[in-house]
Amino acid sequence: MTKAKTGQEARIFAVETRFQKLARRDGGVPRDKAIAQAHAEIEQVKPDFDQWFDIELRELAALVNNAQSGEGKPGWIETAGFRSRQLRDSAGTLGFELIEFIAGSLCEILESIEAGNECNMESILCHVDALILARQPYYRALQPEQVPELTKGLRRVVKHVTINPLGVEK
Amino acid sequence: MTAPSMNLRDLVILVAEPSSYISMLIHGMLRGFGSNKVIEVRNSNHLLQVLTVQKIDILICDVRLPPHGGLTMTRAIRNKKDNEHRTIPILIMAGDSRESTVKQARDAGANMVIAKPISPAGLYERLSWIAFNPRKFVDTESYFGPDRRFKIEGYPNGIGRRKGDKVVEVAAESGPTLAQGDIDNLFSAVRTGQD
Repeated sequence: MTKAKTGQEARIFAVETRFQKLARRDGGVPRDKAIAQAHAEIEQVKPDFDQWFDIELRELAALVNNAQSGEGKPGWIETAGFRSRQLRDSAGTLGFELIEFIAGSLCEILESIEAGNECNMESILCHVDALILARQPYYRALQPEQVPELTKGLRRVVKHVTINPLGVEK
Repeated sequence: MTAPSMNLRDLVILVAEPSSYISMLIHGMLRGFGSNKVIEVRNSNHLLQVLTVQKIDILICDVRLPPHGGLTMTRAIRNKKDNEHRTIPILIMAGDSRESTVKQARDAGANMVIAKPISPAGLYERLSWIAFNPRKFVDTESYFGPDRRFKIEGYPNGIGRRKGDKVVEVAAESGPTLAQGDIDNLFSAVRTGQD
């Protein structure tokens, strides 16, 4: 037994979970093969990404458009944040780096609004437009560094609305 | 040296992820690793329901799992006495991998944090690390969970730290997001007196 800071006894004990016991059994899949098989599984669902992405993007654009016209439902920022995060994370796993970059940039803006910064609709709209552009086959295959004007522009927007939330010209 | 293989067959893996698409991707990765028993839930209420009726071997949980959040769920699992899942491995997935988030996960009792977007290699390494590096549990008045003082000597299967990995210093709440190597280091920072 070890003394805890509070003066109470700290109990320290070994645990061997079923996960640890069974995962160490013989007959497992070797690491390289397991990872290759996981990539193969992902490749199988990749063709469905376009359809899913279109739906998500449409939903996101509708949320933003409603908010811009003053018809946004309470909690729309949170919903937009969820949709942006799943676009970022799925695109990242599937290797669509430009979509991951733009969606990640949008996540930063939405999180800053959730944290109390002013909601700058223009900054959100330009990210939705960038996602629509990145959805096209030619752009989707590109990496962020291959479209520096776009990515630098978005970084400037994020910096502007997250560091200078009131939009005051410097 | 022959790299050990991880055998996930017949282990019940619970994936708690609000996005059905991302959950499907994770499920696919686990299938590729040889897993044949994966349960998916989209929210913390369903997670609690599953835990009451099904024996789970490992939980992979999103940090923002609605409505309670993945860390609240982790604390609930660790703190509830007479709970058969109290010591199950918990791997937290976090898109927001700021130091404060990672530290909160560690202090809630998570075994490890994996940064989103998740790659097959990243997921395999963390599962393998949990499988081959069992940690003692600590039970105090204020904490129940895996010993937070541990050292990553390198991942199993001969995978060491990545070249760019560096020691993490504790920073302000709004610090930059961390790379996966930094997250791993933060989990191991206690022993070296940095936290």
